[in-house]
Amino acid sequence: MTKILVVDDAAFMRMRTVKLLQENGYEVAEAADGQEAVEKYIQEKPDAVLMDITMPNMDGITAVKQIRKADPNAKIVMCSALGQQSMVLEAVKAGAKDFVVKPFQPDRILAAIKRLTG
Amino acid sequence: MKAQFANPFVSAAYEVLQAEVNATVERGPLSLEESQFTNKDITVMIGITGPVRGVVMYSMTEEVAKRLVSVMLGQPVNEFDSLSESAISEIGNVITGVAARELERAGYSCRISPPTLVMGQHTVISTVNLKRLVVPLKTQYGEIEISIALEEARAGARDIGLTVAKGV
Repeated sequence: MTKILVVDDAAFMRMRTVKLLQENGYEVAEAADGQEAVEKYIQEKPDAVLMDITMPNMDGITAVKQIRKADPNAKIVMCSALGQQSMVLEAVKAGAKDFVVKPFQPDRILAAIKRLTG
Repeated sequence: MKAQFANPFVSAAYEVLQAEVNATVERGPLSLEESQFTNKDITVMIGITGPVRGVVMYSMTEEVAKRLVSVMLGQPVNEFDSLSESAISEIGNVITGVAARELERAGYSCRISPPTLVMGQHTVISTVNLKRLVVPLKTQYGEIEISIALEEARAGARDIGLTVAKGV
């Protein structure tokens, strides 16, 4: 089963995303900040990651860099309310493969995951 | 307080409330307030830094917040618990994120802080030297009030924009 790591500091967002992924047949792991995401990535070895940007302890961009250092093939999709061009560029430079802008768009999230793991 | 800075927040609120809770939004009369801000029950506060800086607040009664969260969760919410706090903060976060995109297009690339939730009636918040543009939004769930207190970092001086703001 394809495993996705969902990273968001908002419990509500994690709940909603996890529900969407499970309903579509994915196995899911969760992390509430960037630091936890790096640890969970190494531990769980997910097929792809959905990563928020603004989070306490370690932000999503830093977490992408660290995960990519541990696994240069890591597939990470940013999922953030911060859709400014500068932010998208920064995420891509860090190694993110795609960028989904909130508000929550279930189809967009599923399409991005499918493209990376299919 | 230039209307140019406030408009993105109002249009973002329309867009996000429509997407998240299928809200039909109607804007009430604007006002420019100099007095301190008094909390309704629940306020999401988000700081803005960069070429435009200040704070934006989204305020509502607990009843309205519970109705919004009920729709977001797809189940009735009777108690405003930590999951509700997370959901209502997320609304503020996403509205501000969408507005920041608009501000960037206008040449002001700003950063936004994670949301802070202020709870309890009659809490007083002062935006100190900044005037607030207050925009009431009427929805089928009740009223959500947006308070926008922003200034251009470079200029320092505050622009009195009420006549301009009527065009929001």
